[in-house]
Amino acid sequence: MKRMLLLFVMFSLAILIAACGSSDAEGSGATETEDGKQIVTFWHAMGGAAQEALDEIVASYNASQDEVEVRAEFQGTYDEALTKFHSVAGTDSAPTMIQVFEIGTMSMVNSGHIEPIQKFIDEDGYDMGHLEENIVNYYKIDDQFYSMPFNSSTPVMFYNKDAFEAAGLDPENPPQTYEEVEAASQAIVESNPDIKGFALQAYGWLFEQLLASQGALLLNEDNGRSGTATEIGFTEEQGKSIFEWVERMNEAGTFANYGTNGDNMLAGFLAEDVAMFLQSSANSRDLIDNAPFEVGVAFLPHPENTDWEGVVIGGASLWMSAGKDEAEQKAAWDFMKYLQSPEIQAQWHTDTGYFAINPAAYEEDLAIEMHEEKPQLKVTVEQLQATTPSYATQGAVMDMIPEERKIIETALEAVFNGGDVDEAYRTAVEQLNTAIETANKARGE
Amino acid sequence: MTNVTAAIAQEEQILFEQTKRKQRYRQFIKGVLFLLPSIVLFSVFLFYPLLRTIYLSFFLTDASGATTVFVGWDNFVTLFQSTIFQQSVKSTFLFVLYTVPLTIIVSLFLAVIANEKLKGIGFFRTIFSSTMGISVAAASVFWLYLFHPTIGFLNIIMEVFGLEKIGWLTDPSWALIAVSATTIWMNIGFTFLILLGGLQSIDKYLYESADVDGAGYFYKLRRITIPMLSPTLFFVVTVTIINAFQTFGQVDILTQGGPQNATNLIVYSIYREAFTNYQFGSASAQAIILFIIILFMTIIQFKLGERKVHYQ
Repeated sequence: MKRMLLLFVMFSLAILIAACGSSDAEGSGATETEDGKQIVTFWHAMGGAAQEALDEIVASYNASQDEVEVRAEFQGTYDEALTKFHSVAGTDSAPTMIQVFEIGTMSMVNSGHIEPIQKFIDEDGYDMGHLEENIVNYYKIDDQFYSMPFNSSTPVMFYNKDAFEAAGLDPENPPQTYEEVEAASQAIVESNPDIKGFALQAYGWLFEQLLASQGALLLNEDNGRSGTATEIGFTEEQGKSIFEWVERMNEAGTFANYGTNGDNMLAGFLAEDVAMFLQSSANSRDLIDNAPFEVGVAFLPHPENTDWEGVVIGGASLWMSAGKDEAEQKAAWDFMKYLQSPEIQAQWHTDTGYFAINPAAYEEDLAIEMHEEKPQLKVTVEQLQATTPSYATQGAVMDMIPEERKIIETALEAVFNGGDVDEAYRTAVEQLNTAIETANKARGE
Repeated sequence: MTNVTAAIAQEEQILFEQTKRKQRYRQFIKGVLFLLPSIVLFSVFLFYPLLRTIYLSFFLTDASGATTVFVGWDNFVTLFQSTIFQQSVKSTFLFVLYTVPLTIIVSLFLAVIANEKLKGIGFFRTIFSSTMGISVAAASVFWLYLFHPTIGFLNIIMEVFGLEKIGWLTDPSWALIAVSATTIWMNIGFTFLILLGGLQSIDKYLYESADVDGAGYFYKLRRITIPMLSPTLFFVVTVTIINAFQTFGQVDILTQGGPQNATNLIVYSIYREAFTNYQFGSASAQAIILFIIILFMTIIQFKLGERKVHYQ
């Protein structure tokens, strides 16, 4: 009997130890390969065509030298990757470097688990001056670089040139204002009732961009850049202009509602169900290659009575984990520099439609050739260069921005489904201000 | 003399008591040892997280979930005033109402017809239970394509019959129904299998004697099958309700809680609050409320169920 009990206790203990032990074994993963190369784990959120392009670049880096091996691991969407990072940050399981979208910037800075790359810039005497000016503006916070810019895109308007021609519109002269978009949509629907004129994804990022294009601020305190934002920064007229634009097209029957689903919208565009839509320029290459018609790319539209101010840089940057070996961080830093090089940026730009953050890339043969072959890729570059630097186009920084996006998406959906604009707008503003308040309170300020 | 025997008897009694106590003590230790593995596992994976959730629900947190400000009952008060949360509770109850009865009625129907001894019935049993082998993610992606506004199969059918296309996942009055349909389809496999098992274990003599008495098919169904199946049905109802309350995957893939929060069921709302808004305090408060709701539902069910369920 006693022996049975003893056995039992041993067994239970064994399970316990095994349960606790396995995580340790996993965490202390080797930091070097068998042949002595330094391993750098790189978490990213590039799916689909962009993932293929990125994998190719990583492979070319690994082949270019024999001291570092970069292991790129896809971690789902930006949101998911960031969530995963926050849950492992500071432990051995954290990756050496991670790609985080622009609105995660403040939450990364506040997390305390990152090494500002300013440290490596100073040690190395690296010059960030060769990067695109607008990008430097976005990622320089309090005169410091916390992360290394990598993939940046701007929102553009994609349109179906064939549908434009069929409707008697000039395919080389796309609409630039809300009113022109409405008129073009009307003409397209009249010429072919099977195709809708325009689609806007219920996506907070696009709302932010449409605000910036008319020079409106998302948050007060200069978009949270001069101090901590305490409430929204856009006026009723500015905010409502977007809602009312959609409402007018909805009533005219020229608006296609794809809700929050961007993939459905892309599929709808490719299936010629809708002629114009707004999306990140990162989709350019994919759309140009796969559409059975001629794809046009245009600047982001703005209300007629405002001046076009420009766009905010979207996309992501690369962050260095704190608490890693010096050698590992140095290796990751070397890879980051490699990604900035003109050749790699030219390849990345032409493979995806992200713009090159290093303008020297546009002088590369590859980029020149591709721009001749697919001039649509140039639009995103031109749009960025035409942007007036201001607080509006620098973009908002605050840790509640993911929540802001959800609130705006709900409000947009209400309008898409024929809801009352005033009510949708009022509810959204109330919720936004509450969210800002809660976020400030949660920081203990 | 008598004193001596009495003393001996008393001594024996004490000894007996002592041994008994000792034995009971050893029994207790043994029992605890047998329970130890589950106590340890439950503590690590259930009790500790539960206590931690309660603790977190009284705080505001930063992005990594570390507590920053103690706010007492504020998180709960805010929740009860929030229209988003009220909508979320309403949607959850509606979702339970849409999915649970239909899942059980459809599965019961399939189980009853699959219980007949016919040639090739094994094939149909396999088909009917096949959705059990499909993961939530795969099933949701499959339905996502069916629901596609323009190239989806469902809207193509609508068009063939000359009906107006439906924005299955974009129209707030349809989205919850669309998610419910997906859920019912996914749950049928499991429910069917359990109910079929219950049907198979009903004693054949009952039917034989009913046959002798000349009972008809529906009379047997009503008077023998359903009562004998009641423990299984009760189990299935409880599990389906709890599952419905905890639905997450379908929502995440099909609608992300949209349109206009129509499908923002509580568990999805908790996820969003914690992992996109980084408000772990308010998310924990929601989790506690969900826990209390499920607890009450289960208690009510057991109270009601005890009276109706017929155990053999």
